Amino acid sequence: MNPDAPGAQSASSVSYGLTIETHGLTKRFGRQVAVDGVDLAVPPGSVFGFLGPNGSGKTTTIRMLLGLASASAGTVNLLGMEMPGRFHEVLPRVGALVEGPAFYPFLSGVANLHRLDAATRHTVPATRRARVDRALDQVGLAHAANKRVHAYSLGMKQRLGIANALLSHRDLLVLDEPTNGLDPQGTREVRHLVRSLAQNGTTVFVSSHLLAEVDQMCTHAAIMSAGKLAAQGSLAELRRAGSARARLLTPDAAQARKVLAGLGLNCETGDVQPGGETLLAALAPAAGASSARIDGSPTARSGEILAEDIVAQLVAAGVRVRGFAVERESLEDRFVALTGEGFDVAQ
Amino acid sequence: MQSELKVLFGRRRTWALLLALAAIPILIAVAVRLSSGVPSGRGPAFLDRITQNGLFVAFTAMLVSVPLFLPLTVGVVAGDTIAGEASMGTLRYLLVAPAGRVRLLLVKYAAALAFCVVAPLTVALAGAAIGAALFPVGPVTLLSGDVIQPPEAAVRMLLIAAYMAVSLAGLSAIGLFLSTLTVVPVGAMAATVVISVVSQIADQLPQLEWLHPWLFSHYWLGFGDMLRQPVLWDSFGSNALLQAGYIAVFGALAYARFTTKDVLS
Amino acid sequence: MGSEATGTDSTFQPHGKRRGGRNWPRWLPALAVPAVIAAAALAGTLPANAGDPLPQKTPAEVLALAAAHHAQAFSGTIEQSSDLGLPALPSTGASSDPASAGGAASVVEFLSGQHTARVYLDGATKARIQVVDRLAERDIVRRESDVWFYSSKDNSAAHLTLPAHAADLPLAAPQTQGEDPAAPTQSGSPSESMIPTPEDLARHLLEKVDASTAVTVGADVDVAGRSAYNLLLEPRSDATLVGQVAIAVDGETGMPLAVQVTARGAGTPAFRLGFTALSLEAPDDALFTFSPPPGSTVKELQVPGPGQETYGGHTPGAHQLGDPAGDGKGSEHPSVLGQGWETILRLPAAAAGAPDANSFLADPLLAQAAVVVPGGRLVSTALLNVLITDDGRVYAGMVPPDRLQAAASTAP
Repeated sequence: MNPDAPGAQSASSVSYGLTIETHGLTKRFGRQVAVDGVDLAVPPGSVFGFLGPNGSGKTTTIRMLLGLASASAGTVNLLGMEMPGRFHEVLPRVGALVEGPAFYPFLSGVANLHRLDAATRHTVPATRRARVDRALDQVGLAHAANKRVHAYSLGMKQRLGIANALLSHRDLLVLDEPTNGLDPQGTREVRHLVRSLAQNGTTVFVSSHLLAEVDQMCTHAAIMSAGKLAAQGSLAELRRAGSARARLLTPDAAQARKVLAGLGLNCETGDVQPGGETLLAALAPAAGASSARIDGSPTARSGEILAEDIVAQLVAAGVRVRGFAVERESLEDRFVALTGEGFDVAQ
Repeated sequence: MQSELKVLFGRRRTWALLLALAAIPILIAVAVRLSSGVPSGRGPAFLDRITQNGLFVAFTAMLVSVPLFLPLTVGVVAGDTIAGEASMGTLRYLLVAPAGRVRLLLVKYAAALAFCVVAPLTVALAGAAIGAALFPVGPVTLLSGDVIQPPEAAVRMLLIAAYMAVSLAGLSAIGLFLSTLTVVPVGAMAATVVISVVSQIADQLPQLEWLHPWLFSHYWLGFGDMLRQPVLWDSFGSNALLQAGYIAVFGALAYARFTTKDVLS
Repeated sequence: MGSEATGTDSTFQPHGKRRGGRNWPRWLPALAVPAVIAAAALAGTLPANAGDPLPQKTPAEVLALAAAHHAQAFSGTIEQSSDLGLPALPSTGASSDPASAGGAASVVEFLSGQHTARVYLDGATKARIQVVDRLAERDIVRRESDVWFYSSKDNSAAHLTLPAHAADLPLAAPQTQGEDPAAPTQSGSPSESMIPTPEDLARHLLEKVDASTAVTVGADVDVAGRSAYNLLLEPRSDATLVGQVAIAVDGETGMPLAVQVTARGAGTPAFRLGFTALSLEAPDDALFTFSPPPGSTVKELQVPGPGQETYGGHTPGAHQLGDPAGDGKGSEHPSVLGQGWETILRLPAAAAGAPDANSFLADPLLAQAAVVVPGGRLVSTALLNVLITDDGRVYAGMVPPDRLQAAASTAP
């Protein structure tokens, strides 16, 4: 875990007013630790992406957030209240889609929503019909409302699940893989829906194993890996935290290597191009990299060497610089780097 | 609660169970009607009375369905309470609604009890109806040899249904508890039915005589006491007390289990 | 639901403690409920002490109180349980035909297991006894001189008209208007053949109170919610199987409420007969009205002549239990050897109207219980031994087997 990850800083410095806040949240199943000391900090009004490969503990974390499973250790605060102790105050304000939709197959979509809405004493029966209709409308299911769920496609069930989460006014929506099984059109609609909900002040906590999804709809994100929280923060912070590297095109490769080594940068040899050789060098030591940091070096500032300093040094050493670019890691590279796995690879 | 009942009695499966129960008196009545006559004293009690009085179809059917069919259907409903929701995944949505675990348990048990009331009533009503259709209906001879008129016989029949409803309440509590242990409803159903059969077998073994008064099935056949003149209430009282004990024990177990359980399905 | 939430609040550990631990209070009810039930069950089995202690009485005074008792009207439930060491018989399998008096099975029926009967009595001439079987019932209803027997199992009824002079004959319960108070009520009367009342049994036993019996009064007991003197009879002879007979005599009315017979050296009673519920109010008069239900088979019975055992005569269960001495009055064949607790009843081979040995042993249950001993076969129970000699004579008594064998070998 990157100690400098901005998210981690904000989690420790701001402890009031967070919509979701956990400390040391841990879940053990026997000897296996499914969730290990997770400190989540979800600011109000955010669309918070909860990223991680399958099996990284996302759903277990969500279960603990909602009081479905008890935590082995640690605390959960939702909307400023302790969970699961005050679930009867918290949960009416939370809409949830947990690990896929689940409905009574022998009931119609409308009947299912009626039942779930009637399951709690915190809803007003008088407005139930209107609220159910509105929620079905919101997810575009009005046409199939009276069909038995048995006959629904996966995508329709997914929509119905989201409709259930939207039955009442919610301050927080927890959506576990909301676009699972949806066609591209449906995915776009969900994305749109989430954004519009967020604009109305609802905090949305979306889990996904698809980075692109998070990238497109979220303001904040956390990345889970093997039960641990690898990083969290706003998307901008996460992107910035990714390491940058310089790409240098020069015919004087040997000389350039020497200069870069003098700056404390490791470089790799890239492909050979008409203009000379390409050298790649990480500008800042990536998380866990041991070699690159030189403390006290005049050129090192906050762990990153400025691009202009490098070019100046190179030129001063007589290296012909035919091309120079600083490349920042994409969120995707960062995700892979943090989780250490490819997408969709279960542990 | 209302919604729970709607779900229970809106299911085709529930209706199939009740239809199966209703089929028992119908089968008996048709079989007796088609056969040349039942020698007195043979077969289940009351069977030989049917040709004289159709209302005995209800009593015979009740007797026949007590050992297996009623526990079977109640086992299916009670075993399904929590495990069924868990296996469909709807349990997690009920809990985050939030339904509250204790409240959900109570509502589920209340629905199972409602089925315990409806199931024997179905047997009684179907029996009375088919009996009235195929045989003459007249004054009913009680076990004591006294004769009562059909309206009073109807009251006795309702008493018997009530007796059976109480009798099945303990089994429902056991089913409810078993249902909190698993996410496989069939497992909880089967276990409940097996327990009811084991209890009845144990009740027949003289070696276990010390255990007999503690078996929840011990008073099941005591519903005959509603057919005495005057009604013998002792077994009704003992039965109610026993069932209350089972409800308390298994209710407490179900509470303990369900409120501490991780809902992972 | 609210309580569930607040309960969690107070035990919530804010930081990092093992949270699995906070769930244990939820299991408390599951432990507490069985504990409470067990405690209640234990409390129920403890001998309940009567609220107000009865005034001290000497055995003689209690005997007098019992003798002076005249039950005019009551309704009650009697329970009889025997643990004589015979193979148990499913109660539903027992013969239940009152009018044809079953064979050996009904003997065994009353020697084993548990039986319940409801008894209603109003004056000397109105009585009803209902032997409660599982899903069946045997009834005896008497109003004036009309006596009806009914068995629900085969829907059969039998009717008996009592001659005027014998108005006090059957349904022996009350000691009737002093016509012949000393005479033991007819043994083999219908009530006894079904199930005797504590009163019948107590009277038989109290008749035996003589020099051979030590009589004491134990601590008060509670029977059917009533305080009763506990009259204890102990045979002075050790040539009997009977260790102690306890008779609960109602402290208020002197009515015998329960009889317990404990075998010599045994800790728990081998036989118990007593009220579990008793009301001294007159029962509903309609209970004593009986007419055979439609569809039942009706049989007219002959009035039993004095001393002749007809109805129920070969249902010897009550006979042996309630009257092991077998007064044998007037019947030609059975004879009595010895006296007091050591009395032995002798039935010659193939005695008319008595259970002959073959019918006894034809019953698989009894055949199973019988063991071969020198001179015959022995059915041995905690309170009663029956020896069936090889030539078909029957010796029965509440005595050790060797006494029977001795009697058989010396008898003509």
